[in-house]
Amino acid sequence: MSSLYLDFIRIRFLTMLAYRVNYYSGILVYTLNIGVYYFTWQAIYGGKEQLAGFTAAQMTTYVAVSWMARAFYFNNLDREIATEIRDGTIAIQFIRPYNYLLVKMMQGFGEGLFRFTMFMIPGMIIAIILFPVQLPTSPVSWIGFLVMLFFSFLINTQLNILVGLMAFFIENNDGLMRMKRVVVDLFSGLLIPISFFPGWLVSIMNFLPFQAITYLPGSVFTGRVQGTGILEVLGIQVLWFVILLVPMIIVWRAARVRLFVQGG
Amino acid sequence: MRIAYYVGLIWEYFTNYMKTRLTYRADFWVEVISDLLFQATNLIFIFVVFAHTETLGGFTEAEVVFVYGYFMVPYGLYSCFINLWNFGDRYIVKGEMDRILTRPAHSLFQIFLENLDPPSLIGSAIGLIIMIWSGGQLGLDMQWWFIPVMILMVIGSTLIYAGIYIILTSVSFYSDSPTGIIPLMVNIQTYGRYPITIYNRVIQIVLTWVLPFAFVGIYPAALFLQRQEMLTMAWLTPVMGLVFFTASLLLWNTGVKRYRGAGS
Amino acid sequence: MQAIEVHQLRKNFRIQQSRGGLKGALQDLFAREYREVAAVNDISFTIPQGEICGYIGENGAGKSTTIKMLTGILVPTSGDIRVNGYVPYLEREKFVNGIGVVFGQRSQLWWDIGVIESFQLLRKVYGVSESDFRKRLDELVERLELQELLSRPVRKLSLGQRMRCELVAALLHNPSIVFLDEPTIGLDIVVKSEIREFLKELNRTQGTTILLTTHDLQDIEALCSRVIMLDAGSIIYDGGLDELKSRWGSGRAVRFQFGKAVTAAELTAWTGGLPVTWTQESELVATALIPVDTAVSDLFSRVLGAAEVTDVQISETSTDEIVRQIYSSGSAEKPGAGGILHV
Repeated sequence: MSSLYLDFIRIRFLTMLAYRVNYYSGILVYTLNIGVYYFTWQAIYGGKEQLAGFTAAQMTTYVAVSWMARAFYFNNLDREIATEIRDGTIAIQFIRPYNYLLVKMMQGFGEGLFRFTMFMIPGMIIAIILFPVQLPTSPVSWIGFLVMLFFSFLINTQLNILVGLMAFFIENNDGLMRMKRVVVDLFSGLLIPISFFPGWLVSIMNFLPFQAITYLPGSVFTGRVQGTGILEVLGIQVLWFVILLVPMIIVWRAARVRLFVQGG
Repeated sequence: MRIAYYVGLIWEYFTNYMKTRLTYRADFWVEVISDLLFQATNLIFIFVVFAHTETLGGFTEAEVVFVYGYFMVPYGLYSCFINLWNFGDRYIVKGEMDRILTRPAHSLFQIFLENLDPPSLIGSAIGLIIMIWSGGQLGLDMQWWFIPVMILMVIGSTLIYAGIYIILTSVSFYSDSPTGIIPLMVNIQTYGRYPITIYNRVIQIVLTWVLPFAFVGIYPAALFLQRQEMLTMAWLTPVMGLVFFTASLLLWNTGVKRYRGAGS
Repeated sequence: MQAIEVHQLRKNFRIQQSRGGLKGALQDLFAREYREVAAVNDISFTIPQGEICGYIGENGAGKSTTIKMLTGILVPTSGDIRVNGYVPYLEREKFVNGIGVVFGQRSQLWWDIGVIESFQLLRKVYGVSESDFRKRLDELVERLELQELLSRPVRKLSLGQRMRCELVAALLHNPSIVFLDEPTIGLDIVVKSEIREFLKELNRTQGTTILLTTHDLQDIEALCSRVIMLDAGSIIYDGGLDELKSRWGSGRAVRFQFGKAVTAAELTAWTGGLPVTWTQESELVATALIPVDTAVSDLFSRVLGAAEVTDVQISETSTDEIVRQIYSSGSAEKPGAGGILHV
């Protein structure tokens, strides 16, 4: 049974490899993204030592690692699910002897593996060559970061699946998907680290899952969170992972009922 | 004669768009709100950044907001008339290009018309309001030449935007990747809105000559802000617009000849 | 005048050769290997105005590729095409005003809006005057009985209803040539025969040239005076349907039911010297295929003299069988006298 799910990982990995143009342009585009934000932040610092708890050097590292983490956790599962719902192929998924959501997770993970080995690692090397990125020195930070990166993927994928499943309830969820994408980029701390936001916004963010996607692992990588603090932020990620399972299951149940009643 | 035919078609497709939309009213509003949210996050970025610094590359907050307001105008026009986001999926993978090619109007034009998105124009309107508001803050006096020059610049910027995206879309005809590389551009398209001088040479060259998004933001807007250093570039906007748009049409027309059709 | 002239037409596709496995996929990321495949392989034919021509072949034989080149969707690799006096891909926008296209598998209509709205839009796209449009639409709607469907959105139509609407959509601008790619696919028998009747009438009253691809040979029998048969990108038969039948179909199948079990060896022994091919269904049932120049009575005298026969059926080979035979032999060359049919 589990080998079936492993196969979904493998197949997606191979599928991703097939799109060569996407691959090359992806590397270029991510490098450009890091470059633009690197220089933008340089200009914002303008010689100042520290802003919102980030030194200029930490900021450089943060920008590089956040974009590269995004290169890993990003996927289009929301769009895929929405398409399958809208064109009705989801009905076929229901008669297959596997769990649809788990399969989607596995496909996302296959894509993630591709993105990790083919995008993130080479991209990170390019970023280290081009910009003054400081890698963590303690092995604890490395291990903590890699574990947290995996949870970033899980949480982001959970959000994608949730938004994708919304296509069951609204006819056209393109707008919703775009909204989610924008919100995740901004409120996960990809574009601006959370600590830069005004205090009232920061306290709202603390109650939302988005910061667990980029900001928390980024903080570990830049060394702003160390030692037992790593366990604390990892705990927040695990908590969000568990909490997000609840709406996923509820929405999935409701979606099944809806499919059976309306016939798709 | 030919122009009257095409204008007539725009109207015909527009009324059909309205008829379709009236069946899915909820989606309409979700889409408008998600559009505005996308713009809002970019403004939030500007506000957050300027909470930590006085100027960015010699531009004040009001000036950067003004540039952003300008950007929204051509962007709204572009999104309304030249919506190519789902080209690969819909026309290449699902093969709707076959149908387009059996009809007596230019293929690209038909695709524009089938994907009209009038709600995007709301963004253009808001952009104008932002320009007027931040212009007021800057104490910019309305001059007689503002309106004709604005029209010229907006046309130029829209053509550049269109040109870039038509070129990127044409890649679908030449490459093996059905979805194309457009989704990767989401972030890059916004980089032309910041003072380009903060970036290093390579990125400046990319944003000016390769993916000339700087002409859809900082350069033309600088004209109204009376920034002497960007005057030449500002006047190049309509020229670049014509060059890029023409080049993109040529690439498209050649690309269509390589279209292979979908399935059997 | 010729409606369609095709000379040495060829379309090659470049197919990526995927290397298997993870290692192969990684290699493919950096260097690729391609193979050229001829989907249509130097074919030539002409179709005069007013003819209904059937274009048949197995899946992947190159039918759709040909149709797409004839309609200006694909650009040929080499060769000449003239349709309605145009080279389709060169003056595409002018050329398509004179043709109508129906893809059975894909809708030409807008999914969410009423059928009539789609028609109105097409009127504008093809620049048809309001009065011509009215007249033509009324005729078509009446002929195909679409009155109640006009205000419904396409997504609410059944397949048969949709296909009738597709036909109207393709004919609104009064094209002189109509291309139909599997127009009856998935339809029930009643709708199929309605559509056939309609096409026949269209051809008779308007002189419309029709080229259709199909897998349903009854379409061909009902409509076409001429058949072009394609296999692996090459034309293997081009001619009248009657001729095809008389050349190929004149053989007969004789089905024997025996009272006692017989073996294959016995069967061939009985008809030794006669050009007969046997197929055995069971120990008690076997069918003999004989070509036209062999008398059935010869077969009878041999078999009836040797075995205990309880029942006999004689049947002409159907078009279906003929076509199946041609496909499996890969050529429409008539086998020489005494040759054996491949069944």
